[in-house]
Amino acid sequence: MTESLLAVRGLSKQFVSGNETVPVIEKLSFTLDEGQSLALTGRSGSGKSTLLNLLCGLASPDAGTIVLQGLVFEAGSSGARQKAAAWASLRRQQIGVVFQEANLMPALSLLENVQFRAQLAGRDPSKSEDWLARLDIGELAGRYPDQVSGGQRQRAALAMVFAMEPALILADEPTGSLDRHTACEVAGVLFDLQARHGCGLILATHDAELAAACQHHLDLGHLSGL
Amino acid sequence: MNGSRSRTPLLPLARALLSHYRRHPLQLLALAVMIVLATMLWTGVNHLTSQARASLNQSEQAVAERQQVLRDDGRDLVVDDFVSLRLAGVCVMPWLEVTPETGNRLVGVDPLAAHCFGAGTGASQVLDQPLDGKPFVDMHTAATIDALESRLYLLTPEITQAADLPDGYHLKTFSVSPDTGELGDSFLLNLEALGVLVLLITALLLRSVYLLGLAQRRDSFALLHRFGVPPGHVQSWLLLEILSLALVCVVPGVWLGRWLAAGLGGGFGQALDGLFDIPLYAGQGQGWITPVLVMLAVVLVACLGDLLLLRFRELFSLPVPARSGLATVLLVAGLAMAFLAPSLLWVFVAVALVFAGAGWLTPVAVAYVAHWRADRMAEPLTRWRYRELAVLARRLTLPLVALQFALAMVLAIQALVTTFEDTFDRWLGQRLEAAYYIEVPAGADGNKAAQSLTGQQESVPGLQWHRVKRGQAQLADVGNASGLQVDVFAVAPVGSLIRQWALLEAVDQPWKALASGQGVMVNEQLARRQKIEVGDSLLLTLGEQSGMLPVLGIYPDYGRPVGEVLLNSETLPDGFVIRFESFSVTPGELEIGSITGALKQLWGVEALAIRDNGTIRELATGVFDQTFALTRAMTLLTLILAASALLMMGWVFFSTRAWYFRLLEVWGMSQRQVAGQLLRLALLLTGGIAILALPLGVWLTWVLVHRINPLAFGWSLPMAVYPAFWLQLAVLSLAIGLSISVLMGRQLGKPAATPVSANAVVGGER
Ligand SMILES: Nc1ncnc2c1ncn2[C@@H]1O[C@H](COP(=O)(O)OP(=O)(O)OP(=O)(O)O)[C@@H](O)[C@H]1O
Ligand SMILES: [Mg+2]
Repeated sequence: MTESLLAVRGLSKQFVSGNETVPVIEKLSFTLDEGQSLALTGRSGSGKSTLLNLLCGLASPDAGTIVLQGLVFEAGSSGARQKAAAWASLRRQQIGVVFQEANLMPALSLLENVQFRAQLAGRDPSKSEDWLARLDIGELAGRYPDQVSGGQRQRAALAMVFAMEPALILADEPTGSLDRHTACEVAGVLFDLQARHGCGLILATHDAELAAACQHHLDLGHLSGL
Repeated sequence: MNGSRSRTPLLPLARALLSHYRRHPLQLLALAVMIVLATMLWTGVNHLTSQARASLNQSEQAVAERQQVLRDDGRDLVVDDFVSLRLAGVCVMPWLEVTPETGNRLVGVDPLAAHCFGAGTGASQVLDQPLDGKPFVDMHTAATIDALESRLYLLTPEITQAADLPDGYHLKTFSVSPDTGELGDSFLLNLEALGVLVLLITALLLRSVYLLGLAQRRDSFALLHRFGVPPGHVQSWLLLEILSLALVCVVPGVWLGRWLAAGLGGGFGQALDGLFDIPLYAGQGQGWITPVLVMLAVVLVACLGDLLLLRFRELFSLPVPARSGLATVLLVAGLAMAFLAPSLLWVFVAVALVFAGAGWLTPVAVAYVAHWRADRMAEPLTRWRYRELAVLARRLTLPLVALQFALAMVLAIQALVTTFEDTFDRWLGQRLEAAYYIEVPAGADGNKAAQSLTGQQESVPGLQWHRVKRGQAQLADVGNASGLQVDVFAVAPVGSLIRQWALLEAVDQPWKALASGQGVMVNEQLARRQKIEVGDSLLLTLGEQSGMLPVLGIYPDYGRPVGEVLLNSETLPDGFVIRFESFSVTPGELEIGSITGALKQLWGVEALAIRDNGTIRELATGVFDQTFALTRAMTLLTLILAASALLMMGWVFFSTRAWYFRLLEVWGMSQRQVAGQLLRLALLLTGGIAILALPLGVWLTWVLVHRINPLAFGWSLPMAVYPAFWLQLAVLSLAIGLSISVLMGRQLGKPAATPVSANAVVGGER
């Protein structure tokens, strides 16, 4: 049996607001194999974004362990600096993150954005135009983010993620700000490419249809704490 | 339609519009502080300049062609003298100078007694002014003031001859002040130029802060528009709002400005008083109305100018290439005009054009260069940084241009002040060459004193002295028989005191030649106006004798407008009329008291007029230092204001941009690396602005020194550049960049727990 891409064990995260502590994620455990997709659902405020942040090291858990590509991250303050460096290096080369919007540097053209992301990951930037073309926005390469539509921007964001050839894609409502039709198109491209390149995908979404398209499903339940 | 329009209730509208400031009280505060500071800076500079100018003018008027009556026994004049002179039929006017315990010196005059002066004399011109204004007050008022010091002079018109006077009195020229030359005037003109620049810079800053608030309120304006409030109402409200804020802030600003000027003006006045015995008459200064109205207008134009002048708006909304083209045309036209301008007015127009052009062009140029560099960068982060720089340059246009102008101004003022300081120093050195200056009383024999000092010179180490005789001579103009009247400054012996004078040009061993009476020296002004060069011969008429005398050297006069000839007084013919005689003495190991004691005995007088040059020099140097230091402080204050405005705007702009820096973190850069990028970006920005400010500053210095000064006064100061100061400014602007990045870095430092709040993300400009 191959080792899984990602393993999460007993993960907990709480926020302190005022003198109240609000547990958002409690003792969560799951695994994800290479090439597999996982849908994260739950009502607003249930902790989807928080989990994604934990999984790419932008937030640190209060308890639990995350194992990603054989690297073990234990909760706790020991070795914080090394952990931060290891997470940063993973984000640079292995984890592609897609947000609902604002995934592009506004001062760079679409092509420059893709090149930028590829170069940061240490990949060959010359394939960037190909990626834009594969996402059907090849002719918009020279435009700036504010000169294209929201759907085109999300396509460009996907081009950036695939150009870095990640092992894991974390997508936080990537189609959340798009109309139904465009959302379907963008999601189609995402699943297609993910399947073809065999990387893992964790997709936080409110969209039941989109969630159903994933191989696995994790419901974070109701708004915790309140 | 009309009905509903007029029924738009004002109160809810006001409440809705004011709610912005309730949410952002700091913005309101920033705007208010900006108005107060702008007003303070401008009023300060302006008040100081106009006050100093007024007192200079008054003193100039007051010294025009006057003579006074003195008692032969040297005692102070009293009212009885006035009575006996009037009884003898002599036209005299009392001139009572009083120094009140607080405030500046005042002059009490009697307008009734002045009528015998006739029209056209300086005195009657002064007295044509209403007497209720300072510094000239009615005799009676002056006499009742509690004075620290008061002295009565009796002035008499030029037509009065010595023979007209009763026994026991003689005539003497009445001189409130020797001419300051135009050095003071020139400094004032430059201060005035500084004032205009300060106004411009503060207007830019005001505008930037105001537009920032306006941009944030755009949404609520749009909402109001959707609710059916006509845009005109919103605009009138904005007008009302800024007008009331301006009114509230301008008044304390003017007050602070006058307070600031009091510190400065005191310094300038003291300097004039101590150095030239020019009393700094309590100047009328400026009222309150003018500065308040000017600042209100500036605030209105700066904040709502484009809204008020709709046609102007189209100019601002021109496409970038057209705008840059226009800016380039302005810049080039301004540069050319500054070079060719035949009069001061045109130079000022040229400066305005150059600043307008430079201000418009700077952000565009920064953005252009940034894009150009970005296109050539293979390294992704560098490319991204240059692209961000272009965005910053465009988004922060106003504060950046204000910073550029402030840097340029500081540069120019620094160079100018240092030059003036240097010139004043050398000028002081020339006029106060000896430690003491002793007037030869009327009727006393200067020869006896000269013999006595010559006798002492051998036995007293360090004793240096010379005797000065002043009078006038006719200079035969080339091809003009009528000739030119010049002042004569005759010195003997030509000793070490006079030899300290710096010469602009000279023959070999000029002082030796002067000492042996082989020629004369002329001042810079005379040389320039008459095109006299070293080696030329002048046909000079001294008394009844005429002779050809070669020019041995040209000495600087630092703006003294009158032509002057320096010669060895041993060569003066007998018929030469000595108008004034004095000794300059550095006592060396001797006490000055023993010298003056001997002179009093020799001349048989009770008191001598002695000037202690050391004290004057100390005072003058101290006071000039203070004046210059305050001028520098003023420009530095403007710079700090510009820097804090940039900081503030940068902060607000960056908070809309912070997300994209966080994106870098998401993409795998450490917080440290992101902070490093931020730092480099900020340094690039302020460093670039400093580099762009440098040529503007040097050009401004050149204009002040080589264009404005010669056009206004006919002489120019040496222009010096101070690269060490450039370095200081560069360090300063980098420090501004550093503080921006530190401030912004703190925004980044917040935990990036929810980078997903994409809906709140704005600032996606490029
Ligand atoms: N930095 C923070 N400090 C305090 N509380 C936080 C912070 N970030 C998130 N939370 C809280 O944690 C809970 C989970 O937030 P999260 O953003 O993960 O929800 P979500 O499932 O992504 O919601 P949505 O579907 O609306 O995006 C919420 O109650 C939120 O208020
Ligand atoms: Mg979320």
